[in-house]
Amino acid sequence: MDLGPFESDNSVSCRLASQIPDVCRTEDCCLGIDEAGRGPVLGPMVYGICFCPVSKKDELKDLKVADSKTLTEAERENLFEKLDEARSYVGWALQILSPNTISTSMLQRTKYNLNSLSHDTAIGLVQYALDSGVQVKEVFVDTVGPADKYEDKLSKLFPGIEVTVRPKADSLFPIVSAASICAKVARDRVVKGWNFAEDLGEVDPDYGSGYPNDPKTKAWLLKYLDPVFGYPQFVRFSWSTAQTLMDSKGVTVHWDDDDEDGEKAAQRQNNKSMLSFLSVSAGGNSQNPTHQAHRFFSDRRLKSLDTL
Amino acid sequence: MATKKKRTPNVQNDSWVVIAADSAIDTQKHNSDPAFVRLRNPATGAASLYMLSSGDTQLFEVKTFEEDFHSWFVGQTVQRDGRLLFITPMDPLYLILPYLVKSVKEGKFQPVHQVVMDEEFPACSRLLSCTRSLASLHQIAEEKEVGTLKFHRYSQEKTMNWLKKKVERTVIALKKRNISVGEGVKSTTYVRVKSETDCREEDYLRYAHGLISEYISEDLSKALLKHLELPELTSPKETEPPSKKRKLSDKPVEAGEDYTKFNSADFVRKPPKKMTAAQKSLAKVDKSGMKPMSSFFSPKVKAEKN
Repeated sequence: MDLGPFESDNSVSCRLASQIPDVCRTEDCCLGIDEAGRGPVLGPMVYGICFCPVSKKDELKDLKVADSKTLTEAERENLFEKLDEARSYVGWALQILSPNTISTSMLQRTKYNLNSLSHDTAIGLVQYALDSGVQVKEVFVDTVGPADKYEDKLSKLFPGIEVTVRPKADSLFPIVSAASICAKVARDRVVKGWNFAEDLGEVDPDYGSGYPNDPKTKAWLLKYLDPVFGYPQFVRFSWSTAQTLMDSKGVTVHWDDDDEDGEKAAQRQNNKSMLSFLSVSAGGNSQNPTHQAHRFFSDRRLKSLDTL
Repeated sequence: MATKKKRTPNVQNDSWVVIAADSAIDTQKHNSDPAFVRLRNPATGAASLYMLSSGDTQLFEVKTFEEDFHSWFVGQTVQRDGRLLFITPMDPLYLILPYLVKSVKEGKFQPVHQVVMDEEFPACSRLLSCTRSLASLHQIAEEKEVGTLKFHRYSQEKTMNWLKKKVERTVIALKKRNISVGEGVKSTTYVRVKSETDCREEDYLRYAHGLISEYISEDLSKALLKHLELPELTSPKETEPPSKKRKLSDKPVEAGEDYTKFNSADFVRKPPKKMTAAQKSLAKVDKSGMKPMSSFFSPKVKAEKN
């Protein structure tokens, strides 16, 4: 697995893929989807697909791939090796969603939540397999959100493919377990060798699991909080753990889509009462004692000053 | 997200982000620094900030671009104040004009140094050091020379002609810069698909007049409007778009140009549609004493006292 393409720019989303085995182009295939790194506040979320001919399902079982969560890191690496050795009939593809991608998606003006991001990434990977000529006939997915809704969505998008969405799919279907191993291995490697784009000097690598409730992770987050910039791009800014820390320890930053409460915000933004539009203004502008700047200036937000 | 962000007041800062003409900060010639001065704003009568170049030879006005939610990154620091100051050249005559206008009551020729005086803004006398000031006083005042001394008296006629020239030059500048001046255009970011051939000369004149009025008193602004032979917009109604109220008519609404209507063979004027049972029953309701909906949206008529 060559992580080079992602490591050259870890601020964006990146796709890595194996060679497509020839047999997958001619025979009906099954495809499993799983993700790694959904919960952590640190590092990327990795989506993986694995596919093999339906006829080879048993051979995959013999590799004893199992749910990645039940395995140690060494066991996972070992299994990934085995999958790699089986490259004549097993193919895989990964989408690495950088923490920066996650942050900017979730925090942009029109919010793009993690579930939509997950769904779209999964769909993108299935489409990639189809575009590469893989004869996908069955898809197995570990669920994100309600299983039946997700299953409906995928079935509609990919007519002719039998879609099975099931919680715990990674322990039920070997092909999903294989996908989960690919995803998990990629995430582990990326997180271990994270290239910090920021000039932080020697970064303390002891950030624990990256999960918000890990004390090591919390301590690390406290240590690397910059009052102005917050965190390096390694951290998911959209996680409430990061936000709470930035709110309490960092400088307050106001954005113009911040929620502010009614009256005050309206006054600050110079909003007029709805009623004022419904009646001809009593008195009109001519009696307004304050000087009304010409629209050349008001349109351009230009004002006179009386002091600096 | 859960916690409410509190706005702390802007603290006094000692640096600004400024765009200024080179001539504004040139200290070579006179060996003194340019200075910010507070002078009486001719349009509002209140204090405004101006800048005099080194040796008081040139006047500049100071405007600030100010919008919510802006900050600067300056080198390795953050400047919370996201303002952008513009220091742009300004004709000092605009600031001298109100003093001359005020002195017209006395009706006599006076040395200009005695006229341009202000207890509140003592710096105003420095305006007369500007290279343009004395040379262009004849634009707004009659001059008399007695020996080496010069005396001036404000002239409304001259001033109007001078301001008219300013308006005309502004119109040229507006056209050159493709600035939207039409009444309909309220946003500067609004991009017209059509070129502005439908913009009338009057729109330009009125816009330019409005701009010049930012630099003169309200009285002069009104006089200038007359001088430009522009009708005064008295009530705010005229500047507002026409009311949305439609004329009520019994005739059916038809498109102005409907080419299909008389071509169809089976064209017959259809009788008015029959009302549904519900509409009928509603129509029968006693409506005496009920106000029409539209009455709630029109100017209030004073309630008659009974």
